Amino acid sequence: MTDDVKVADKTDSLTDLKETDEDLRLPSVVEPAHFPVETIDTEARHQTPAVGQRATRPDGRLHGLGQTKYIDDITFPNMLFAKMKRAGISSALIKSVDTSEAEAMPGVAAVLTGREIPVNSYGPSYQDQPVLADERVFHAGDPVAAVAAVTEQIAEEACERIKVEYEPLEPVYDPVEAMKDEIRVHPPHSNIYATKRIKKGDLEKGFAEADRIFEGVYSTQMIEHVPLEPHASIAQWDPNGRVTLWSSLGRITLGRADIARTLDMPINKIRIVGTIVGGNFGGKNEITTEPALALLSRKTGRPVKMVYTREEEFIASTTRHPFIMEYKTGVTNDGMITARKVRLVLDGGAYCSWSETTLGKACILSAGPYNIENLLAEAYCMYTNKTMTGAMRGFGAPQVCFAYESQMDEIAHKLGIDPLELRMKNAFHEGSASPTGQVLQSVVVKDSLEKAAERFGWKEDGQ
Amino acid sequence: MRAFDFVSAESADQAISLLSEHGPNVIVLAGGTDILVDLKHAKHDPDVVVDITRAEDLKGIEVNDGGLRIGALVTHTQIMDDPYIRENFPALVHAAHTIGAVQTRNLGTLGGNLVTCVPSMDSGPALMALEAEVTVAGPDGTRRMGLEEFFVGPRKTVLEHNEVLLDVIIPRKNLGKPADFLKFGLRKGQALALVNAASALWVGEGNTFKDVKISLGAVAPTVIRAAAAEDFLEGREITPENMAEAGRLAVEDAKPIDDFRASASYRRDLIAVLTKRTLDNAYRLAQGG
Amino acid sequence: MTDVTLTINGEERSASVPPETSLLRLLRDEFFLTGSKLGCDVGDCGACTVIVDGLPVNACLMLAGQVDGRDVVTIEGLATLEDLHPIQKAFEEFASLQCGFCGPGVIISAKGLLDRNPDPTKEEIKDALSGNLCRCTGYTKMIEAVQDAARILRGEKEAA
Ligand SMILES: Cc1cc2nc3c(=O)[nH]c(=O)nc-3n(C[C@H](O)[C@H](O)[C@H](O)COP(=O)(O)OP(=O)(O)OC[C@H]3O[C@@H](n4cnc5c(N)ncnc54)[C@H](O)[C@@H]3O)c2cc1C
Ligand code: FES
Ligand code: FES
Repeated sequence: MTDDVKVADKTDSLTDLKETDEDLRLPSVVEPAHFPVETIDTEARHQTPAVGQRATRPDGRLHGLGQTKYIDDITFPNMLFAKMKRAGISSALIKSVDTSEAEAMPGVAAVLTGREIPVNSYGPSYQDQPVLADERVFHAGDPVAAVAAVTEQIAEEACERIKVEYEPLEPVYDPVEAMKDEIRVHPPHSNIYATKRIKKGDLEKGFAEADRIFEGVYSTQMIEHVPLEPHASIAQWDPNGRVTLWSSLGRITLGRADIARTLDMPINKIRIVGTIVGGNFGGKNEITTEPALALLSRKTGRPVKMVYTREEEFIASTTRHPFIMEYKTGVTNDGMITARKVRLVLDGGAYCSWSETTLGKACILSAGPYNIENLLAEAYCMYTNKTMTGAMRGFGAPQVCFAYESQMDEIAHKLGIDPLELRMKNAFHEGSASPTGQVLQSVVVKDSLEKAAERFGWKEDGQ
Repeated sequence: MRAFDFVSAESADQAISLLSEHGPNVIVLAGGTDILVDLKHAKHDPDVVVDITRAEDLKGIEVNDGGLRIGALVTHTQIMDDPYIRENFPALVHAAHTIGAVQTRNLGTLGGNLVTCVPSMDSGPALMALEAEVTVAGPDGTRRMGLEEFFVGPRKTVLEHNEVLLDVIIPRKNLGKPADFLKFGLRKGQALALVNAASALWVGEGNTFKDVKISLGAVAPTVIRAAAAEDFLEGREITPENMAEAGRLAVEDAKPIDDFRASASYRRDLIAVLTKRTLDNAYRLAQGG
Repeated sequence: MTDVTLTINGEERSASVPPETSLLRLLRDEFFLTGSKLGCDVGDCGACTVIVDGLPVNACLMLAGQVDGRDVVTIEGLATLEDLHPIQKAFEEFASLQCGFCGPGVIISAKGLLDRNPDPTKEEIKDALSGNLCRCTGYTKMIEAVQDAARILRGEKEAA
């Protein structure tokens, strides 16, 4: 009987199968799409029909009705409220944390300290930030313990009753001072935790070609995003060992990985519901309280919510980096820039957060939108015992813009050249190369400057 | 906020007896724009809060034999809207308008502003330049005093825990006295004064300064009078030079400090400028402009 | 506990709350009227603005006991089942809000203004909104929307 069975040619069918399979499968690596030889250039000042049209927003109606549900508008039955005890000291060793009095308070469901967190460090590029400080405090806004209680008020009072014994250490606040590494924020590591250097042309030759050399130091201050909605999250640990987090977090995928890491859990056991965000501006790009809330929920079996106070927004969320910027620029008497040397010192605060990105962008943009053949830009990001700095709209671009445009004004003034003309002379044009060699297209900086000057009557004012 | 008990008073007398009964760890609540912030930051931890917002006898604006009486519970918005004050005391309207924003002015009261007694209070200077007096009531009756006496130091007045501020009175002799108030803050809305100033004056014979009173805020532990500047001007001819000199002298009267809002030296510049301008504006007002 | 009975959006409501409860907490936690937002809790941002006895105030700066017997209007009281309030409509049409968190407070402040002053100047609108902080927009479209809503409320323009 067996002879009747026609045995398929094994090799044949396998090849068939494979081929069909290949047809269905998407290539795992997308083939590089080659740039078209002819680039499609949009004419400068050409407006698509969408520009200038009024558009309504799909969420506008709910916003106006007050029906948009931000995280603090969500409640669950049996929900607890968490508060964190803040260090209030900017650099210290933690000798002991006594939570007994807080735990004994009626209404307190659980207290959590740093030692209970499986992997007590996180951060989008370096994992240098503890969820709750355990051995050492790096800045005054560091949380040292978290409390979950039936009301916010009780949680707050319980925090006051937690006793922490510190051994104060000498702090360093000035980023330039921090460069000496005499006081280290995260020993044994250097305070200089990220650097970047961009070189183009021949700096010495450029300065030699200059008729005048201008030097200046510019600095900007720390800025908080102040989203109108404070940071908030809710955690619910379920009996299957999964945790669901409702969070005002902007980057939920990245946050999920960070949470999985701190909780030492597979990522598939963590679900994040990104709620509608009441303002982010870069300040909600990383996790804050989520792992602590998850563990408090596990300890209590109840959902736990925490909303930052406005004060916590200032002391415990990221801020914009203060910069100290040294600029040295060589120019000819008729206003052509021949060389520029830039040195940026970024005050990174206690943790890295998005400093690396900020450092990179700031460095690339530090020469300004000007054709400068000979350039050296160096940037350093420093740890200090201050509130950490991170992403904020522009990632370092506004700070350097303040510096190079201030210097452009000084140069124009000293050379007796119209400030607008000085910029027009040096500004990028179609096909200019950026400091890192990127060839730029659709360059409309001159058109924009001209148009703006015309609109606000620059020439009429006799400026 | 910490837990406390809440009681409500229907009159000043009832407020005084509630305060005496529950004292000394009690606190009066009017518009709440100062005290609620303090309570939330746990600066106070009272056992009992006595709400006086229902005490009708602390409300109202009227002109009587003594002068202009403004009840302690009158809100900044009510001062801005009052026809008599608008007509006769634009300086008080300006001062009220610079306080916080609409919401805070709808809640915040004149009494609360004076009792909180921060050096930068915006109600203080114009009232002091108009020689306003306050009535304080306690278990033993009432007493009347000038603002200089009422203000003791930063966040401190003569009030005892069981006393309330009843009203503020601008004496009859000063009804309609030309006065001006100016405030310099870092922005227009929701900003406390770096310096504020007020001047009131009559124009005497031969276009001279008569009964000129100058008051400054945010430049000393309490709102103060600029005595040296006043003495200099009294009887002198009204000229821009004399006003500028008064500005310089007013700087001597003040003791500005450096803080996170401004440096002492910046405040000194502001004192000179604001003093001169309020004198100038008050004079224009006297001229009918 | 403090017992309060007040009118909220035309309806009488009662609650018994701890004396330190703010009006904002009362509205949000007791009556689930979450349209009024907590942005700062100290009177600076205006996200909690509601109308009490006809005047816009910071709900975070009043205690529940102070509103006993009084009349409160929140953002939830503006629209009907059939229609949006003209200010809400204008805010939608002009895309005046971005994240929207400040929106309820701004709209209530605008209502407080238009109830008292049906034809405000741009300066008066700015003054009326100066207690409402918005971090997303530049206020321009809010001002335009308030002007537009004022025209509709005065009957000079048909509602869209
Ligand atoms: C956002 C914001 C902005 C502000 N901006 C300004 C500003 O620009 N300029 C300025 O000057 N102020 C400003 N303030 C402060 C405040 O609004 C004013 O001082 C206000 O007038 C206080 O009045 P209140 O009725 O709210 O006082 P409350 O907070 O009720 O009370 C203040 C203090 O006075 C006591 N008190 C009140 N009334 C009496 C009384 N009749 N008898 C005895 N004691 C009494 C209370 O016990 C308390 O100690 C601002 C406040 C906020 C929240
Ligand atoms: S929450 Fe009330 S003003 Fe900000
Ligand atoms: S729309 Fe985001 S704060 Fe106003």
